[in-house]
Amino acid sequence: MDAIREGLLKVDPGLYLWTLVTFIVLVLILWKAAWKPLVEALDLRAEKVRNDIETAEKNRIEAEKIFEDHKAMMNNAKNEAAKLIADGKADAERLRSGLLEKANEEAQKIMEHAKREITLSKDKALGELKNEIALLSTEIASKIIVKNLKPEDQKAIVEEALTKIRTVQ
Amino acid sequence: MLKLISLVNMVVGAGGGHGGKEESVSDVVMHHLTDHVVEGNFIAKILEPVNTVLGGITFEVLGLKSNLAITKLVLMMWLAAFICIIIFIPVARKIKNAKYGSSSKWVNMWEVLVGFVHDEIVEPNFGHHYKKIAMPWFCTTFFFVLFCNLLGMIPYMSTATGNLAVTGALASTTLLGMIVIGTIKQGPQWIFTGIVPGGVPLPLFPLLWVIELMGLLIKPFALTVRLYANMTAGHIVIIIFIFLVMMFKSALVGIGSVAGALMINMLELLVAFIQAYIFTALSAMFIGASLHAH
Repeated sequence: MDAIREGLLKVDPGLYLWTLVTFIVLVLILWKAAWKPLVEALDLRAEKVRNDIETAEKNRIEAEKIFEDHKAMMNNAKNEAAKLIADGKADAERLRSGLLEKANEEAQKIMEHAKREITLSKDKALGELKNEIALLSTEIASKIIVKNLKPEDQKAIVEEALTKIRTVQ
Repeated sequence: MLKLISLVNMVVGAGGGHGGKEESVSDVVMHHLTDHVVEGNFIAKILEPVNTVLGGITFEVLGLKSNLAITKLVLMMWLAAFICIIIFIPVARKIKNAKYGSSSKWVNMWEVLVGFVHDEIVEPNFGHHYKKIAMPWFCTTFFFVLFCNLLGMIPYMSTATGNLAVTGALASTTLLGMIVIGTIKQGPQWIFTGIVPGGVPLPLFPLLWVIELMGLLIKPFALTVRLYANMTAGHIVIIIFIFLVMMFKSALVGIGSVAGALMINMLELLVAFIQAYIFTALSAMFIGASLHAH
């Protein structure tokens, strides 16, 4: 007991009492003026931060979904475009071959027509030429005949000419 | 450093008047670490009329004579309380007004410490439900003890928590808290059933009850002695380091002893924090344990 009366281990009831009073008063003052608003503010902020994080997470998921949708849409559009291009190419190809065929046919027709025309013209010209030759030959023959024809010869020539003409025709 | 120099001056001044060296170092330690009414400066003059009245109020508890004089340690506690008030009331207002957290480093520093008390001390022991009541109590305990501890590191100040009466008073609030919370939350039978672990065989119950009842008193007693001893020991070591110079009567020793004292001083800063934390954490653990039957 003597140790706590004096020296380093002294326990002074007065100091004990003052400590209690100081501490209790400090607790009451700070409770009202500092800790209550401080803890409330911190809790409020923690709540707010939690909400913000939740909202951000939600937004992120939504954005990801939208992104996926857009990706799918883009893919669709790409496929559609490719299909359109392929269709266009096929159409063009068909059109081109059709046109070519038609043109060939046309050309064939024109050629044939021309050939026929040429043949007709040639035949016509040959006929005319024959007539002309016959006419000229008769004229020449008549001139020669008139000059030095004896009556017996005349008869023979006419005979011969007649047979010749007959063979030509 | 100022404290060290003043200590050296004081020791040299005191050394002349006394006989043996052992007596001197003990005198110095006593003067620095025990409580007494302030003498010989302007504060003493201001307090003189108050102390003549309060010092006259004498009483006796358990054979210990005392009075209500405003001693040095009472002043230190008031200073610590005042520092708490002038720091935390504006800080609380600023935190409340800043919706997204204050940008001030000063405010954020205290917010971190309050958050530390909240996360490490109050939340694990009291959960979400009783937090609103526990936070103010343990925040006050932590910062009051912390500032008392740190004030002792400043020259011409002394450590209020380096006194058994002060730590005893703080620890007895813990004892009171344990008893009051236990009785309110678990009913008056708490003193029998609440403190003894559940599932104890009936024959062992009385024995365990006696042990646990002693434990109930030993817990705050351990709090008292731990804080007191930690705060006192460092100061004694610092004083003795400095006193080595006087003992050896050599300036060369001063190089080593001042370096040693400086090191202990740094350690003391750390200890001031650690002990404030331990005192508060254990106090919270003890009181939190009487919330629920175990």
